[in-house]
Amino acid sequence: MIDSIKRHWRVGLLVVAVLAATVVLFAPQFAPTAGAEGIGADDGANGTADGLTNLQFGLDLDGGTRIRAPLVGYTATDVAFQGDDPATVASNVAGELSNTTSTSVNAELRDPAEGGTGAVEVTDTNVSETEFTAAIEAAGYTYEGVRPGVTEETREATIEVIEGKINEAGLSGGSVREIVDANGRSFVLIEVPGEDRQDVEELIAERGTVRIDIFIPNDGNGTRNRGVVTQDDFENVGTASRGQSNQAYVPVSVVDTAPEGQATPAQQLQQAVSQADAAAGNPGTDGWRCTADYAESEEPCLLLVVDGEVVNSFGMDGDLLRSMTSGSWANDPGFRLTTGTAEGSFERAQQISINLRAGALPAELGDGSSSYISPTQGEQFKTYSLITGILSVFAVAGMVFLRYREPTVALPMIVTALTEVYTLLGFAALLGYPLDLAVIAGFIAVVGTGVDDLVIIADEVMSEGDVSSKKVFDSRFRRAFWVIGAAAATTIIAMSPLMVLSLGDLSGFAIFTILGVLIGVLVTRPAYGDILRMLLTDR
Amino acid sequence: MVAIEVPEVEYTDYTNRQLVAIPLAVLAVALVILGGWYLATGAPADLGVEFTGGAELRLSASETSDLEMGTPEARARLEDPDTFSIEPSSVQYVPGDETYIVTFRPEDLPQGAESGDFGDIAGEAEDAGFAVTGEDIVSPSFGSGVQTQALGGVVIAFLGMSVLVFAMFRTFIPSIAVVISAFSDIVIPVAVMNLLGIEMTLGTVAALLMIIGYSVDSDILLNNSVLRRTGDFYESVQRAMRTGVTMTITSIAAMIVMAIVAWIFGIDLLRNIGVILAVGLCADLMNTYLLNVSLLRWYSFEGVRR
Repeated sequence: MIDSIKRHWRVGLLVVAVLAATVVLFAPQFAPTAGAEGIGADDGANGTADGLTNLQFGLDLDGGTRIRAPLVGYTATDVAFQGDDPATVASNVAGELSNTTSTSVNAELRDPAEGGTGAVEVTDTNVSETEFTAAIEAAGYTYEGVRPGVTEETREATIEVIEGKINEAGLSGGSVREIVDANGRSFVLIEVPGEDRQDVEELIAERGTVRIDIFIPNDGNGTRNRGVVTQDDFENVGTASRGQSNQAYVPVSVVDTAPEGQATPAQQLQQAVSQADAAAGNPGTDGWRCTADYAESEEPCLLLVVDGEVVNSFGMDGDLLRSMTSGSWANDPGFRLTTGTAEGSFERAQQISINLRAGALPAELGDGSSSYISPTQGEQFKTYSLITGILSVFAVAGMVFLRYREPTVALPMIVTALTEVYTLLGFAALLGYPLDLAVIAGFIAVVGTGVDDLVIIADEVMSEGDVSSKKVFDSRFRRAFWVIGAAAATTIIAMSPLMVLSLGDLSGFAIFTILGVLIGVLVTRPAYGDILRMLLTDR
Repeated sequence: MVAIEVPEVEYTDYTNRQLVAIPLAVLAVALVILGGWYLATGAPADLGVEFTGGAELRLSASETSDLEMGTPEARARLEDPDTFSIEPSSVQYVPGDETYIVTFRPEDLPQGAESGDFGDIAGEAEDAGFAVTGEDIVSPSFGSGVQTQALGGVVIAFLGMSVLVFAMFRTFIPSIAVVISAFSDIVIPVAVMNLLGIEMTLGTVAALLMIIGYSVDSDILLNNSVLRRTGDFYESVQRAMRTGVTMTITSIAAMIVMAIVAWIFGIDLLRNIGVILAVGLCADLMNTYLLNVSLLRWYSFEGVRR
């Protein structure tokens, strides 16, 4: 018994591989764990399992949206900070830029030696590269070079915010990660199963800065007190709700803490409201009545501004206004960001709530690529690619039978090639690698190269008459194996660039072709040699 | 059942020059086609949306509309200038999936539109009574980056293969024979793609890389049989050919089936890979058994003696 296992260890290895693949594919212990790959998902991982097996499917076959885009900005490298701390550097550079705010310039200290060197970045799309370098020089700093893109810190922060947004929106199974291409450019790759492009882009593309302005009418000569409350001043952000007369709103409160001796944001808002009320001639004993078009309003308005655009204008009722002017509101600084009653206002409120909770994107997504496959189409692709795969295998089998006519040679060949694919599927399940169309193409390519190699083995072994002795068989088998090994090495070399380059789906194709070649050379093809020997030699 | 027998070729009837002429002529024609394409379009092949930027919609019947797919009305609706704010560059019908694939090119964007901003084409298609089952958008600047990477990938793969082949055989003529036929195996499918009007996509790049891997198999088999084994040259070639032709034809069969089935179902990625590999493997048959064989014959009978 042990002797025969020893003799046929190659077949034994194949059997072990097939059994292992079966366990991984079907055992519930290997089922995709909820939320393991995805972020904060309640169900499903990066891909979703089909229930029958533990395989996971990618967006191509399950439906969903994939967005790949760089983050926009410029980064100056090796800037000499000359002893200034990063915040000072950033504000000095921002001071030289007329068309942006200080929040879009950041500095990161890299090396504290000799007064410190580091990177300075601008994330405002309005600022051009020349404007940026001119500003750095005008602020009195020297730098080594400027590249498009943002710093690693900003990238990580942006990815975190996008993850937060996807989570807050309740989209399960989404994933966000950074990919770097061969030229060193980095991209953010966002995958959200089941959602269409429009929704995902709206969710993410919006930078989502929220602030409140106060409009003061001034007898038709309206002025705006900008940014009385900004993004970071909000806390306890609630979910979007509908109030009286169908107004959509987000309940928030304004921060009421501040360093010793400074007014808290809530107190600042009170002051701004009091000033506006006084400037407008105290119209609001019964509150402020704001007209639909705030620029026409005769009484002050609060303006809700998202990404620099006025989304809604609203007044205040008398109680709230009185508590603000008297200064008691800051003790309980609850507030409603109202988005109005118009169509889409509730979605607006939801969006604002998401943006406030997840935070604003530190940098914007630039031109990239996006793709969407509907879940029904994905389901169909699954069926179609299965049919394509099966028919391709039939074509191979047909050719092999036509060529050899002998079932003892041809049948094991087909079976061996299929076990190769089966073992690969096991690998896919084990790695949790989501199957997509490119991976399916890889499987078909593996069947192709696999059968090629088996043909080499069969022909070599059966050449020059019958093989009766084990010794003759072994020497021929070794000879065949040299060719197979060489061919496998070239395939691996040829496919490896695809694995490294970020050419999207194609890395799956490359990974599985290479894995398939490896499994083939190490496990299945030697086993086929053994099987053939058992069938052809007498002993 | 009819058995396929690989026919014996009487190489002795032809001189090396005669044998080499055909593959070299085909390679020259292919290079001329690529050169002409480059002069005419600025690129050696028709580049797909992934490389040039653009948008592609996959549309099927909508539940709320009684528009039937595959009818002249549906096509007319898609080609109606009022349907989309950007004129589609092509409308392709996939009968197996009852789907239309509509392609938009960045050069058709209205004046003044931001590059890569294709607007709400999905919404417009829905308004026209279709359901959007797929949408791909690539901005031109992103596409050009993909282009350089893909080209770089093919070059690196090819160089890597060449180095490996030289390391394995350690003799110049047999190694260069493999490298030249692999080069020709890549160039010919690209030329055929141009003639068939198939665009270069990421799938075709993968297929070209795959050809590097596949095509070298039969070359290695041939070289190995001739160089490493004792026996008559023609016998060795014959033996390698029997195996090699079987291998290649089996792969061609698989790829043709994959291409046809994927074409019926409108899975472009699989279709492109299938077509390119089938053409490339056909080119490989020619290159291996005409070009490579004659170089090897020259090497065995004359080159070694020098």
